[in-house]
Amino acid sequence: MFTTRIRCFSVLILAIVLLLTGKSGLSAVTSPMEALKIPIETVLSLLKDPKYKDPAHRQQQRNKILEITHTLFDFTEMSKRALARNWKSFSPQEQLQFVDVFADHLSNTYMDKVQGEYKGETIVFLNQEMIAEGKAMVTTKVEREPSPISVDYSMLTVDNQWRVYDVNIEGVSLIKNYRTQFDQILTKETPVQLIERLKKKVDIKIGN
Amino acid sequence: MCDRPIGNEVSLKKTVVILMLSGMFMFLPGVQAVYSDDSPTLQTRSPDDEEYLEEDAPRITVADPLFELNQAVFEFNDKLYFWVLKPVAQGFRAVVPTPVRQCFRNFLHNLGSPIRIGNSLLQGKMDDMASEMCRLVYNTTFGVLGFWDPAKEYPHLNPPNKDFGQTLGRFGIGNGIYLVLPVIGPSTLRDVAGMAGDVVFTPTAFIDPAVVGWSLKIGESINDLSFRIGQYEELKDAAIIPYESFKDGYIQYRKQKIDQP
Repeated sequence: MFTTRIRCFSVLILAIVLLLTGKSGLSAVTSPMEALKIPIETVLSLLKDPKYKDPAHRQQQRNKILEITHTLFDFTEMSKRALARNWKSFSPQEQLQFVDVFADHLSNTYMDKVQGEYKGETIVFLNQEMIAEGKAMVTTKVEREPSPISVDYSMLTVDNQWRVYDVNIEGVSLIKNYRTQFDQILTKETPVQLIERLKKKVDIKIGN
Repeated sequence: MCDRPIGNEVSLKKTVVILMLSGMFMFLPGVQAVYSDDSPTLQTRSPDDEEYLEEDAPRITVADPLFELNQAVFEFNDKLYFWVLKPVAQGFRAVVPTPVRQCFRNFLHNLGSPIRIGNSLLQGKMDDMASEMCRLVYNTTFGVLGFWDPAKEYPHLNPPNKDFGQTLGRFGIGNGIYLVLPVIGPSTLRDVAGMAGDVVFTPTAFIDPAVVGWSLKIGESINDLSFRIGQYEELKDAAIIPYESFKDGYIQYRKQKIDQP
């Protein structure tokens, strides 16, 4: 009885600490769904915040969102998986460059979409499933007219934190989709050329 | 919502459909999933972990012997979208109020019930078949001939969509070869056969004169597109090689549809 109380109490303290710090420094107790839900809901509240309606504050909003997504998404793992066996044909320097530019490309593409199109859609967190040790799949649904969209996140633990390494939209894996494209490009081009291609795409976006 | 089988979609809408679709949830447990007991063990990956190589595992791919023709049609569809379909859909959206477009969409989706019922039966998914039949009756009566969609509120009345291409896939028939159809977009030999098979279940296909059926089909496609303007551009923009991205997206999307329990 007494120990149960102590346990309840420490859980409460833990919850308060978590709330106050807003950080998941105690990720050992965090489930993959929680690790996904907290940052996503923070992003949604940033998107809803009337303060950022003013175009002058757009960049600020974007930076805040990017900060969150860079913690949530493991762009190194995403890059490795999108390149798969080709990863090893990149020099360590090229690997770093690739991760950077691929992260920029993904952020730009999806940030434009999210910032430009968000109309108060809610996200329902449906389920989480362990697919292997340290690997999980969290299924969600974006409530949107005229029909909802299913979005599933593949996550793994890196340094005791759950991070996203793939996103499945209506059954289509983002990483597998890029994998097919990169594989095709790398049969004819060098890693440097692929990095250049991505850079060009990112620069055009920024130019706009 | 209206992702009627492939045949009914004019345009690149089909390609857009690849990623952006429809009510496929039979239940909604809500946010409060339980995770106290299955707390996973955390384990840190070492930097030289080679697990990422699992992405090399054989994946479903499709033969593309008509690559050159397909690519030409892909380019054609792209122009068709930007020069014709998109402006038309934008005009349609500007002129026709959203509730009217929604009713039109509901009505045509309801008319597509026989396809979903028939294919649920062929796939042996009796629960889905029953759900579709209930939905048809419910929406035709309480939804006034299907112009409204009161069944939307009941997730179990909205099973995943079925078509004959999927049914063939479940029978073990592979994609055959990849095809990009004019106006319709990505498809495969099997899914073209599926489209032909679904005509049997399509009430509008038997309207006399046929021109009425065709007009309905075009109207439906424009109406559908009016809800999705901009999505094609986004997908294209996210791609490094759009042709490959849409091909892979279509194949993954169809595989998921076929594999769903």
